[in-house]
Amino acid sequence: MAFNDPGQSPWNKRGNVPPGIDEFLDQLKQKFSFKFFNIWLLLAVVVVAWGLSGIFIVNPDEMAVLRRFGKMTGMANPGINYRIPWPVDEVDVVKVARIRSMELGFRTVQEGPPARVRLFPVESLMITGDENLVNIQVVVQYRINDLPNYLFKVWDPQGNPEGRTLRDAAETALRGVVGSMTVDNILTIGRAQVQNQTKEHLQQLMDLYKTGILITEVKLQAVEPPEPVQASFKDVVSAKEDRERIINEARAYQEDLLPKARGEAEQMLRAAEAYKENKIREAQGDSERFLSMLVEYRAAKTVTRRRLYLETMSEVLSKVDKTVISSQVGGKTLPLLPLLEGGKSNPLTTGQGGNQ
Amino acid sequence: MKKFIIPVFLGIIVFLAASTLFKVDETEQVLITQFGKFVRSVREPGLHVKLPFIQDVIRYEKRLLRYDASPAEFLTRDKKTLVVDTYARYRIVDPLIFFQTLLDVPRAHARLDAIISSSMREAVATHDQSDIITEKREPIMEEVAADTRTQSSEFGIEILDVRIKRTDLPREIAESIFARMRAERERISKRYRSEGAEEQLKIKAQTDKERAIIIAEAKRQSQVLRGVGDGDAIKIYAKALGQDPEFYSFVKSLQIYRDSLKEGTKVVLSADSSLFQYLENPKVGKP
Repeated sequence: MAFNDPGQSPWNKRGNVPPGIDEFLDQLKQKFSFKFFNIWLLLAVVVVAWGLSGIFIVNPDEMAVLRRFGKMTGMANPGINYRIPWPVDEVDVVKVARIRSMELGFRTVQEGPPARVRLFPVESLMITGDENLVNIQVVVQYRINDLPNYLFKVWDPQGNPEGRTLRDAAETALRGVVGSMTVDNILTIGRAQVQNQTKEHLQQLMDLYKTGILITEVKLQAVEPPEPVQASFKDVVSAKEDRERIINEARAYQEDLLPKARGEAEQMLRAAEAYKENKIREAQGDSERFLSMLVEYRAAKTVTRRRLYLETMSEVLSKVDKTVISSQVGGKTLPLLPLLEGGKSNPLTTGQGGNQ
Repeated sequence: MKKFIIPVFLGIIVFLAASTLFKVDETEQVLITQFGKFVRSVREPGLHVKLPFIQDVIRYEKRLLRYDASPAEFLTRDKKTLVVDTYARYRIVDPLIFFQTLLDVPRAHARLDAIISSSMREAVATHDQSDIITEKREPIMEEVAADTRTQSSEFGIEILDVRIKRTDLPREIAESIFARMRAERERISKRYRSEGAEEQLKIKAQTDKERAIIIAEAKRQSQVLRGVGDGDAIKIYAKALGQDPEFYSFVKSLQIYRDSLKEGTKVVLSADSSLFQYLENPKVGKP
């Protein structure tokens, strides 16, 4: 009974006659060993502390999964929650809302700016479909969309699926896509295609492995040919520019020459039109003049004819150097011949006009 | 002695509970053995009971496991060397068979290594290098996965997939790859520049041709116009002059005398001409 007594006695005594504090303590010291009392108190404290340790807080961006003896029993909502502490219940609280990211081909050593990165050529150097090598650095962004799967379905050397599992799958997906494209395509217009296909393929693997991870984005960072061949690749770009430049020069030649030619053609046509109109009008003028003269000529033929002849002669002979040779002289000799400056103007021996 | 009864009793309860009850986590599955002999397997998570002391619990992963092969060189059908880095995902579906055949994960990996590398060697040897890098990647992975699946089914494991993480050309030939890439780039550069020259010549030739046509066509039309003008003029002249050709020739001749006999022209005239008929003999005269 000695074992049971100590627990009962104080309460009984207090229930009957409430003693003073000193008296009570004296009684305690007398009746029970102090050491023994202390063990019970300690036990109570430990039990209370154990019980209180079951309180846990889930922040708004977190989710929690509860396990009782290892078996998942449910999820806990954000707020203050309670579970039976170890070894009965276990809880995993994870920030599910956070967008996480994984770097492939490089690692950020120091957040910027300016960011310092360490390159991982083993990861970034990959072979393209046309057997060229290319350096590609990628950032994969993801979040957890199925927490139980994320926690319980995949073993990973780094504890959870975003360790090696995600990295292995991302490398597989990226290299698969790059291996199906040509280096030119990847370096120029194929960037979006690489991103989209890698994301799609990676998500398929994540679903297949039940990682509970949702890939939100695959972003290509640097995409470039390896250092030893970069100069050659740059030369291709400048050759392309050269081609465009040369073609543009030719087009400039074309655009300079053709309008000028059209102008020239127009000029020639207008000149021909002018010639034509000129000819016609000249003919018309001449004709009308002739017809007017003809009308008057017909009215007085002989006298008009003579007048016209004589007027002309008068006009002409007043200007020219004249030598008139009498028929008596002229018949025998031609004494003036040597004076003529040969050929320029033929001597006019005429009687035709006058002999009508 | 009475005061020790409760602690001792509690101690015994705790001790019995600890050796009777066992916890199976979501991530694991267990085998119960009795003196090293298999009794049963437990795959359901939660609290389970076994016989104390004589039964033991062996725990195995229930999660998807990762086997990562180290990169190895394989020979392709066209006798080229290719470095292939693979990984596989599998899970233990029958812990008993797994326990009996492989016992633990490291031994399983050693076995998988042998199976996958021989299967991969076989698959790679039946394809050309360029095909493996490009479109044959997926079929090869499936081929190897299927082969590995059949070969490993007797170990109580299930292969989910075998994937080619990387296919690389051996490091030693990197320089020759770069040389090839450089040559290829040079070829493309040259092609671009020649294409530019080609296009330039074409455009210039076309331009010159178009210009020549434009000018020639303009010349043709000009000639047509001039011809029309000349023709119309002839018609007009003929119509008017035809009314008295003799008068025309008279008038035109007079016009010619006027135009051609300018100052300084030397003219020798005969006094016999009708113009000078009165010069020496005023009496003689025709009307």
